[in-house]
Amino acid sequence: MANFGDVVDSNFIYSATQLNTRIYGDSTITYSGSPTVYHVGDVVHLPYVSGEISTMEAVGLAWAAFASGLGPA
Amino acid sequence: MAKKSGSSFGNFDKSTVFDPRPVKPITTEFSKGSVPDSLYTINRESAWSRWRRGYEIATARFYDNSYEYPFVYMIPVPTGTPTPGNPPSIPGVFKGFPTSNKEFGMHWAGTRNAGSLRFDNIFDKNGIPASIKSVTEDANYWYIQLEGAWSTTNPLPPPLYVPLPGSPVGLKAINGEILEDRIITPQGIPITRDTINPNTQTRYGYVQAVLADTDPFNGILKLRKAGSVEATPDKNLITPASRPPNVGRFLMTGTRYCCSCQDFNRRDYGYMSSLNRVSESLRSKFPRSGMSSLKPGRYEVMSLSGVVDNSAMTSAQANRDMLIVSPSPQYNVPPTVTPTTSTKPGAARDNPGVFRDFGSMYLRSTTDPSLPGARAEGMPSYEDYAASNNVITSLTDTWTPLLDEMRYCKHIYAMKYEEGVFPPEPSDFPVGIGSMVAWEQRLVSETEKDQASAAAKLQRESLSIMDVPPYNCQAPMMMPMMQKLFNIPSNFVKMAGFKMLDKDGNIYIPAKGEKPSA
Repeated sequence: MANFGDVVDSNFIYSATQLNTRIYGDSTITYSGSPTVYHVGDVVHLPYVSGEISTMEAVGLAWAAFASGLGPA
Repeated sequence: MAKKSGSSFGNFDKSTVFDPRPVKPITTEFSKGSVPDSLYTINRESAWSRWRRGYEIATARFYDNSYEYPFVYMIPVPTGTPTPGNPPSIPGVFKGFPTSNKEFGMHWAGTRNAGSLRFDNIFDKNGIPASIKSVTEDANYWYIQLEGAWSTTNPLPPPLYVPLPGSPVGLKAINGEILEDRIITPQGIPITRDTINPNTQTRYGYVQAVLADTDPFNGILKLRKAGSVEATPDKNLITPASRPPNVGRFLMTGTRYCCSCQDFNRRDYGYMSSLNRVSESLRSKFPRSGMSSLKPGRYEVMSLSGVVDNSAMTSAQANRDMLIVSPSPQYNVPPTVTPTTSTKPGAARDNPGVFRDFGSMYLRSTTDPSLPGARAEGMPSYEDYAASNNVITSLTDTWTPLLDEMRYCKHIYAMKYEEGVFPPEPSDFPVGIGSMVAWEQRLVSETEKDQASAAAKLQRESLSIMDVPPYNCQAPMMMPMMQKLFNIPSNFVKMAGFKMLDKDGNIYIPAKGEKPSA
């Protein structure tokens, strides 16, 4: 109990549990929602096996078909 | 653009009868009055303010506003292509930014992952992969000679160069893409700015630059120095790059970003849901654009089964077509007569009832100030079109590739921040706006408040299932963005190609009626 003239930092006393969870750099940060993750990785379509075509080739095929008036299958 | 009612971007004009009596001579002076002055325009257009705002919206509601839809787009191959076992695809993510400035309360941005197109998958006639053989440079560009035997009979393969039947010039479909020299060995994992070379124990580093042009018959790529970014051995991103791409490595495409917001599109899309709802007086409104704001250019029309269809999408099974209309055949996109391009003399960059064009395409000067007679990088220039003797000689609109950092909106800067590739601070700091501290403090509090209220409004009014990607990908607002994002012909953007990943990483295919797991 604080006496008259004492310097008080706050108007309530932290419990030991509260103090433990408030150690700098160690406290658990809570947040709502899900964190931003939108890179499944820059590595796509590796490795290739015989007969497979790459995205580069597929985009090329699409543009070549477009130029000659063909549509997608 | 004079101040108008509605959102901060204005709204469609109400038709009014012209009354000449109140017209008075213009008495305003330069930089005064309601006509935006040049300083105001420069500040609004500055990359710095987008960069700063992008950081703010990325951090203001980082965890609450995470409307993300990862996808893998299966590229539909033309008829007759052997169906491979592991079909080619484009991975990426749609991300929603809640806003009060857009119908349905959301700006949709999208990314296509880096490395979708890899140059170790390009081979010459002898089967030699196209690594960087040598680099030369001039004041503004690097010229990359690719390994391999390239000639007029063996040009670079599509999509770098697509020959057109009956035309001397072909398509250069991926001009405007960002290229990075991040592949060290064929079929290897791309390095990041953190990858350490085991031989030297220093980071590899890489260079990123925009592909300005392609010389398909000599196997030369022209990369632009202005706006290039270098990842240095001490893991910093600096611009412009201090060195050219590394000889011996393979190029790959960098992450491509597109956004449906007004700033990226330079367009104001119609607010149709409120047109006949708010008040009786609005019922008389017919969407139109003022004659004074019309500029020659191209616009696109969405159609379903040959009928113009600007409505919201109602089915994941129906595929719309996009037709791009241009004022004369030389400005067709691409420059040939194709099923999805047409010519209409007098076409403007405007589609009343769907979108209104802002005008003023931002062009940056790329000349080197150290050269005699060159302009310094300073005042931006704006161009919509150039004409001589009433004949249009050049067009600049949203269908012109302008893919450098000046085209990034704040949402794209926010996504770059979240991805860990936030670019260095742009140098065009706004001028004449008083205290930057006060401006930033207001920005911080207002962004937080705006994001919270936009998200709350979104929760209250909610989005229907057809208002989120990929279900809305062929809506008039989304289709031009999708075509730019994937950089494949728009008739190759099919609803059936979307495989979506739900929160647990499970794949669901909307075109088959599948839903994310609850």
